[in-house]
Amino acid sequence: MNRVDRNEVVDPITTEVIRNKLEGIANEMELTLLKSSFSPIVKEGLDTSASLFTVKAETLAQACAIPVHLATLIPTIRSMLQRYPLETMKEGDAYILNDPYCGGTHLPDIAIMTPVFHHGRVIAMSATMTHHGDVGGYSPGSLPTNSTEIYQEGLRIPPLKFREAGAYNETLVALLRQNSRLPDTLMGDLNAQLAACNVGARRLRELADVYGADLLMAIFDELLDRSETMTREALRKIPEGTYRYVDAMDNDGIELDKRIRVEVAVTVRDGTIEFDLAGTSPQVKGPMNCVPSGSQAAAYYAVRVLTDPTIPTNGGCFRPVSLKLPPGSLANPVEPAPVNARTSTIKRIATSMVSALAAALPDRVAAPAAGTLLVVAFGGTGRDGKRYIVGELIAGGSGAAQGLDGVDVVDTDASNCMNLPAEALEMEAPIRLRRVELRRDSGGAGEFRGGLGVVREYEILADGVTFTHRGERHYSAAPGLEGGQPGAPARSMILRAGGAEELIPSKALTVLNRGDRVIVETPGGGGYGDPRRRTTIADDIANGKVSAEAARLLYGRS
Amino acid sequence: MNLSAAPVPRYEVGVDIGGTFTDVVCRSDRGMMRLVKIPTTRANPSAGVLNAVQYMAREWGVLPEQIVRFVHGTTVATNAVLERKGAKIGLITTQGFRDTLEIGRQNRHAVYSVMLKPETPVFLVPGALRREVPERVTASGEVLVALDEAAVRREVDDLVAQGVSAIAVSFLFSYLNQAHERRVAEIIGEMHPQLMVSLSCEVDPAFREYERTCITAFDAYLKPVIDRYLENMETDLESNRVGSALQIMQSRGGVASSRIARRRPVRLFLSGPAAGVIGGSMAGDAAGYEDIITIDIGGTSADIALVSRGKPLIAAEGMLDGYAVRVPMVDVNAIGAGGGSIAWLDGAKSLRVGPASAGSEPGPACYGRGGELPTVTDASIVLGYVDPGYFAGGSLRLQPELSRRAIEEKIARPLGMSVEQAALGIHRVVNANMAEGIRFVSVKRGIDPRRFGLVPLGGGGPVHAAALARELGMRRVIVPLHPGVLSASGLLSAPVEHEAAVAFHDPLDHASATDLTRELAALDRQCAELMRVEGIAPEAVDIQYFADVCYVGQSYHLEIPLKPAGDVLARVRKDFFAAHDRIYGHSAEGPVQFVNLRSVHQARASAVAAEGNYVPEEGDPRKGARAILTEKSGGFVEAQVYERRRIRPGVTFYGPAVVEQADTTTVIEPGWRAEVDGRGNLVLTQGESK
Repeated sequence: MNRVDRNEVVDPITTEVIRNKLEGIANEMELTLLKSSFSPIVKEGLDTSASLFTVKAETLAQACAIPVHLATLIPTIRSMLQRYPLETMKEGDAYILNDPYCGGTHLPDIAIMTPVFHHGRVIAMSATMTHHGDVGGYSPGSLPTNSTEIYQEGLRIPPLKFREAGAYNETLVALLRQNSRLPDTLMGDLNAQLAACNVGARRLRELADVYGADLLMAIFDELLDRSETMTREALRKIPEGTYRYVDAMDNDGIELDKRIRVEVAVTVRDGTIEFDLAGTSPQVKGPMNCVPSGSQAAAYYAVRVLTDPTIPTNGGCFRPVSLKLPPGSLANPVEPAPVNARTSTIKRIATSMVSALAAALPDRVAAPAAGTLLVVAFGGTGRDGKRYIVGELIAGGSGAAQGLDGVDVVDTDASNCMNLPAEALEMEAPIRLRRVELRRDSGGAGEFRGGLGVVREYEILADGVTFTHRGERHYSAAPGLEGGQPGAPARSMILRAGGAEELIPSKALTVLNRGDRVIVETPGGGGYGDPRRRTTIADDIANGKVSAEAARLLYGRS
Repeated sequence: MNLSAAPVPRYEVGVDIGGTFTDVVCRSDRGMMRLVKIPTTRANPSAGVLNAVQYMAREWGVLPEQIVRFVHGTTVATNAVLERKGAKIGLITTQGFRDTLEIGRQNRHAVYSVMLKPETPVFLVPGALRREVPERVTASGEVLVALDEAAVRREVDDLVAQGVSAIAVSFLFSYLNQAHERRVAEIIGEMHPQLMVSLSCEVDPAFREYERTCITAFDAYLKPVIDRYLENMETDLESNRVGSALQIMQSRGGVASSRIARRRPVRLFLSGPAAGVIGGSMAGDAAGYEDIITIDIGGTSADIALVSRGKPLIAAEGMLDGYAVRVPMVDVNAIGAGGGSIAWLDGAKSLRVGPASAGSEPGPACYGRGGELPTVTDASIVLGYVDPGYFAGGSLRLQPELSRRAIEEKIARPLGMSVEQAALGIHRVVNANMAEGIRFVSVKRGIDPRRFGLVPLGGGGPVHAAALARELGMRRVIVPLHPGVLSASGLLSAPVEHEAAVAFHDPLDHASATDLTRELAALDRQCAELMRVEGIAPEAVDIQYFADVCYVGQSYHLEIPLKPAGDVLARVRKDFFAAHDRIYGHSAEGPVQFVNLRSVHQARASAVAAEGNYVPEEGDPRKGARAILTEKSGGFVEAQVYERRRIRPGVTFYGPAVVEQADTTTVIEPGWRAEVDGRGNLVLTQGESK
């Protein structure tokens, strides 16, 4: 291989031109993925990402719509490279993996990677990850809410060849198809991933034709070094020290009375940042466990929030970042612990990592958001005899900061999901939404008020509706900052047609019948500053965000 | 009509009122076209129209009574939103849903931040002015709870007591059953006839309550403002003896009479840019290209739009001030790169350009208004592209030494390179950014840009066009006669257009062609009534139908042209699969459903003959030479400088060259051939050097 002296050939202009192109290529890959995928979760949940990697498995450029995907492909690509070293790769190869215990995330997320060849040499790698509709296991969609081992969650794929020198691995394809409830969708989406990888590879080859592969690879190294330099620089601006944060999650859906501890110690020193999760609960029985790729995505999200937003995101940003994840803990479970419901754990770890720095970076860190995404799902058989499943993801309020009220009902941190319109829900299922309104008094009181949660009240219009409820923050509130009050915790209940009231203990799986009602109230964000200093409390009352009583009790208004 | 009378000249006038300049284009029935830029009177933009009328009478001898058509493109709707100068309004909703507008869809734009700002336009109507009344329609359109009229009266009275001048009404499922919303409008009309009302079943009869409520609230917020603005303008024109009715450009790229436009202000958001795209498509068409990409490079942004088969692509929703608004508009995609974009070095000394912009105040360093940061325009000066003495036709004298100093201090010296190399670097970086923007917009619509012609607009477009086309492998660039005032001339080319849509959710398998025909006929009646108000004869109207179609379960859809004859349903299915394959790369046999039906009525607007042949001014177009530096030329090369208005059609010349005109400068890199066509467009072709 021809080595070139980077300082001699790399000029800052061409470097920036190439950077713009790499971002364009990643975006084009992501677009290809979104456009050519079949399953709604890709198209509407944007649960997919596309990346370019260096031959050393560092991220060159990435396009992802939700931070859960940020850099999650890194351990995947490393794992593939370990199993299939560069020198064994052939043109037309494509590699596949989904096993969380081999660098994956959870089983529905399947990664596909193709090496990018230029004149017989691998110059980069083009990779995508997509959340697939079904990969087997004991519940449709492969997200069983009460799994206790990964074997129940679906088919595990270790690093394997999906294509070899341009030909499909027929044995593997047959096995994949046989194990999915939606074999056509699965193959369609895998091919969409392959198409996106090929777009990335084609455009990288075109760049190598124009600029020469040696220069291009030298520029890749330069780009990573530059982002590393800038990230270290930004980290040096944070006062050195160790910052701690502790929070509690409700339960794992299996052992309902057992709270789960999330503890982080963030140490900033000499341009590096370390996230130590010692003190976090041992791994849990239910599927809330979060494998290292998830904890790492949370850490990278935190670094992007805490440092200069203009730094181009690539593997260089992650070089100064280290994680300590105690083996056997919630944040680094040991096989065969179940992992499919790890999103709420990633969200909480991410929020905790950022919130730890609140005192050190008051300009960048608000009071904690509710940081939850309530999952509710209704399933049954409609009057037309067809099965329906409708699910929705419901956010709470964001946290307040100096000069800034929290935002009401907005998804925060590692996810970014839309809600379901009442008019969509009612067309799909025998359910009527009776009200969708801001949850008065749920925002943490403060000079700047935390964002409000939402109240949604459902009326069930048929018998035999299965109902899943996966909540968070029922037993802990988002705390306030600088004298601000905590947001209201979540609260959900079932009002049976016969008059009985059942409080939902954060997680529930039950059957609803005609006339039953479900009321969910999502949590509010933390407030900022002494509530008695708030100057706009009269508007809050007029606009229905604070009750007159709360104004008197919490804000000291008569 | 007295055919023997001496022919009196007839004129059509287009007036595009922008933030800084008001562009006026006047075309006579003898093919003559004149244009002028006059400063916009910020405090009272509609005064610009009168200024234009007076200017035309004074300078061009165009008498007001000879003006047979007066078309206006306006930013007043957009500005009222940006400046929060709409009306105080109330909102009435179904009981239990008064917060729909504020809750929105719960997703956010700032992904990597925990300091969040509201994602929904709460400023339109805060909680205190949002009221709910008992009423309920089910998902199948049946009335479940009757409208509580006493509650309506109570809430309306109270809102009026609070001082609102308009009320928006948005009930659940009103796109299936309009009765309750219409009854509220009647009640308001009886109680307070002066109040303006916007009903969601009229503004946007489609499903998803947040999007419908949001655009309806925007409509009410703007109605009193737009109504006053356009009424004043109508009165002013009348009192100045302009006999013709005022027409307004709408966001979809068609014009409507002012009297109709006043009723539906949310259709004016993209009035100006839509006219630019229409102007660009006319230029492309004249040069034999009906597939073009327009890029309008202004001070802070580059706006990219696609025209396929002569028609601008329409998006079902757009963005306004960061808010998604569901109203059809020409699909204009903005990227944060323009002439005023600032070049800077980041923490690792990488040369970055934008998204911060120097705007027009203080503007690029060369403006000499105190801007000390180097911009793309400053780089253009150093590279020899723009003559500092002939910027905006010489109306603004630029100071090249300030450009050099800014680039030297902020970029060249820290990077240890020459000022010229730094300037070229700024162009290379911003061009890479814009080229990726064009590529992304094309791929998104399933289009290969290499097949398309590039039509640069705005003062900055022609400076960058050849470099962008080279970067993208596009072979042809069409520089319109007046790229800087193309919006105004686009106003004169646009058809009169009225469009109506209705939600129609039937699956294709169960839909009946009879139902379809009935719905389309109802839409036709709405459009025909509007055309009648315009005074346009039915036989002059061209009707097109469209259906929004998706796979069952998909939440996005494609617009498919509809021909209501023969086996319409089978054809829709086939066309949908083909469109899905073209745009998304695949399609599969599977259950398909309708979402909306749409009828679009168009009529030729122009009362005068099409533009005549382009006649250049007399004189030698060559006005000397100067050195320019391009990426392809290696070092500075001597470029011939031409005066655009003197280049004769059919004359061919080659890059390196620079073509100057009052509103822009065209840079022709080495390796390009240039020619002016019969309509005056400057057409550049790549790969044909001398």
